[in-house]
Amino acid sequence: MSEDIIRIRDLSTRFFTAEGQVNAVSDLELTIERGEVFGIVGESGSGKSVTALSVMDLVESPGEITGGSIEYRNPAFADAIRDTHPDAVDGELVDLLAIPRETRQSLRGTSFSMVFQDPESSFNPTLTVGEQLAEAVEVQRRASANPRSTRARTNRSRYSLGSYVLSTVLPSQRYVTDESRNRAVELLELVGIPDPVERADEYPYEYSGGMLQRAMIAQALAGEPDVLIADEPTTALDVTIQAQILDLLSDLQEETGMTILLITHNLGVVAWMCDRVGVMYAGEIVERGQLEDVFDRPTHPYTKGLLGSVPDLEGAGGRLQPIPGNVPSLLDREMPDRCYFADRCPKAMDECLEHPPEFDVEGSDEHAAKCYLAEVEYTESRALPADYFELKDASETDERPVAADDEEPHRTGSGTGQETETTPAGDGSTSGSGGDSE
Amino acid sequence: MSTETETETEAEAEAETETEAETTTKVEIDAEAETGSEQPLVRVDSLHKYFYEKNSIVDRLLGEEPVAVRAVDDVSFDIHRGETLGLVGESGCGKSTTGETLLHLQEPTDGAVEFQGRNVFELAGRHLDRFRRSAQVVFQDPFSSLDPRMTIGRIVQQPLDVHSVDTEADRRDRVQNLLEVVGLSADQFDRYPHEFSGGQRQRIAIARALALEPEFVVLDEPTSSLDVSVQAEVLNLLDDLQDEFDLTYLLISHDLSVIRHVCDRVAVMYLGEIVEIGPVENIFAEPKHPYTQALLASVPRASTDEKERERETISGDVPSPRDPPSGCRFRTRCPEVIPPADLEIEQSTYRDLMNLRERVESRELSLELVDDGEGNRIDGSSGRVGNVDVTDERTGDETRAIVGAVKDRLFSAGDGTLPGRHDEVVTAALEAAVDDDWQRAAAMLREEYESVCERVNPGLGEEAHAVACHLYGDPDELVPGDRPDGESNVGRERDERE
Ligand code: SF4
Ligand code: SF4
Repeated sequence: MSEDIIRIRDLSTRFFTAEGQVNAVSDLELTIERGEVFGIVGESGSGKSVTALSVMDLVESPGEITGGSIEYRNPAFADAIRDTHPDAVDGELVDLLAIPRETRQSLRGTSFSMVFQDPESSFNPTLTVGEQLAEAVEVQRRASANPRSTRARTNRSRYSLGSYVLSTVLPSQRYVTDESRNRAVELLELVGIPDPVERADEYPYEYSGGMLQRAMIAQALAGEPDVLIADEPTTALDVTIQAQILDLLSDLQEETGMTILLITHNLGVVAWMCDRVGVMYAGEIVERGQLEDVFDRPTHPYTKGLLGSVPDLEGAGGRLQPIPGNVPSLLDREMPDRCYFADRCPKAMDECLEHPPEFDVEGSDEHAAKCYLAEVEYTESRALPADYFELKDASETDERPVAADDEEPHRTGSGTGQETETTPAGDGSTSGSGGDSE
Repeated sequence: MSTETETETEAEAEAETETEAETTTKVEIDAEAETGSEQPLVRVDSLHKYFYEKNSIVDRLLGEEPVAVRAVDDVSFDIHRGETLGLVGESGCGKSTTGETLLHLQEPTDGAVEFQGRNVFELAGRHLDRFRRSAQVVFQDPFSSLDPRMTIGRIVQQPLDVHSVDTEADRRDRVQNLLEVVGLSADQFDRYPHEFSGGQRQRIAIARALALEPEFVVLDEPTSSLDVSVQAEVLNLLDDLQDEFDLTYLLISHDLSVIRHVCDRVAVMYLGEIVEIGPVENIFAEPKHPYTQALLASVPRASTDEKERERETISGDVPSPRDPPSGCRFRTRCPEVIPPADLEIEQSTYRDLMNLRERVESRELSLELVDDGEGNRIDGSSGRVGNVDVTDERTGDETRAIVGAVKDRLFSAGDGTLPGRHDEVVTAALEAAVDDDWQRAAAMLREEYESVCERVNPGLGEEAHAVACHLYGDPDELVPGDRPDGESNVGRERDERE
């Protein structure tokens, strides 16, 4: 059963900031199959989170999807909108970028839902967890009772100021039936929360980080989505709790058969969870394939570098193989038309001064890489001089700050960047809060 | 903690001070070199750091008891010259507080830290000054730890200025040199932090820490905010610097692969205590403490075998350091918690029973809504059917229904049934709970199932690879009531508070 459920073609997402145009995602190609766990792995500034937000239609100003298509396979949905938007429909596939935004948003919850890194931001502190889950259930019920409704209030996956104000004015107990409440308790039980009846009556602050992450997953499951997009779902958690959440996601995936798109910086998490994987760098997928293709037969020097820089838990010390240089700039004016990795690549050659297309490489049929090494042998004679880019860039961009903003704009707002290299801590510490919180 | 040894060391230190006052630097160095061979550079002895909540004047006027958060609770270890000791654990385990307290950036609640044989907490004058120069720290966040209004040259030079080392020109030279040492360039002296990437800023922080030629550096999550490719560079740099300047490191990290890669020895912390300490190879190849084992098993490996890996992960959350469990602090999650000797029981069943006890004792067990078969919902916890309170007239059938439902939920692995006698005990206890007699329920279960792990807090041995767990203890010591520290553990905070 390898039917594609999502087909992304030439997707480009840009941010128009004061500093200039930021190419967060460029011409991205991606196919996700029904029932698989697809991983997108990359470092800060790679565009992995923006890709997720683009699929969810959560890109916020000054960001904008500027091109491409995101096709979603759903026969019922295709039938429902075939009359009004014939151009957007191709058989069972609907191009989400070719239908009105409201229609697209009605898919949230029932077709796509999302789990974020920080569950705190997904819950309203003034309502009990149960109330919020029940409300999510209620919204999904109404939405599915009227699938074409554009008024469905499905925007519960992220807690916004608007709903905060609303909920203070109309405190709790709003239009939620007993049925929805019971379903909320069931959902809490499903995600492994002990004593779900009691816990449903507690407020978010009474939950531990791991519990709240479970509750957020419950919230995301309220509409029984086809595709769950999990953006660094365990990054803020401790490693033993991370293991619990990964196990939970695996189990849920097996039980429900839903498709998971997992965004992470952690190669171990990818290996634990994913069937196929795409490695992102500078807004592109530079290598993709089955997990084994990418981990055991990496072709792109960046993939190799990434794998080489992870300290090995089993083996002894020794030198790590870092990738020299900095995270690339994503400012349009600073992105020359060459391989974006060339300035850090140990094997950069003359041909790399032209932007490489995607080549098939050895391994499974799906194994592909955007790198000339897939086609030509590396030869010293064609190698670029070691200081080629230093000399070239020295004039203007000497030691300039890192890439402009791209990562996690849903957290940082439309910041101007600089901070991009602060990626969430590895393996699950509370990032940025100083590790221990004693 | 033995007062005897403390007085001894104090006397020693004083004697040394007197002689030193008159001697030249050379003698001092010799003395240090001599002690270095046998004496650890840093000796942490029974370090305690509690934070007190509800400790304001108002709280005291209101008669509120201050609540101790036992961030660091009786921690002892040595750090030898030239080595890297890793301190690993999850958030809230006290590892960062340990690092800050041993540098005297926090006031200790109790215990001592000796640096080069002198108690850090009692240093004054020249010795304090020397300690402040010899022991440095690098923090996690290179974005907040550098003053954005200062040039990076000034930032690195600041410690030299404070301690008025050399002339202004010499200092500048020194800083330029340091910038090169950490892989930046001397002509970046007049740049500002925002012009640098995260990895570069961490280099700046490292250069600053090295400015006063310290012997000892505490690295508190130095690479946690960096991308993995950048992290690799910084780790390599730290390695080089250690060789070049004979540095001793205390590396605090939650990241086991970083610890594995960098450290010579490792101490694993859980809820304010060290549960295992030993050479890095031993800890990773043969972890002894069930917590260390679980921690290692939980780390996802970046390898295609990862999906097939057998992993024993642990359930539950870390308990609050305000009210840590009695006995072994890991017992609420430990998959190997030790049953009473005469009890025949499967380990997993015992774990389930211990979880049940935990919840009965904290009265956090949900006596869930069950259907009474006539469409009415009985809420076992309040004894209500619909809006009618039926506690008094609850029938035996209803009680049984509630108890059965709870058992189904808690012991789902075995279809809600427990082997033989355990079923009787649990059923009787749950019936007591349904009757709202939680105390009796708890007592019934305790009598049957109390573990040595909850009575006695296992001590950390003196071996090179030491572990604080009864599985490795002398079985004779585990006779109930033999060692009173299990009980006294509860009241210990009182006694030891200053
Ligand atoms: S295309 Fe050239 S520069 Fe880019 S990764 Fe491949 S070898 Fe390196
Ligand atoms: S002392 Fe008991 S509870 Fe603690 S780790 Fe050892 S076996 Fe587990």
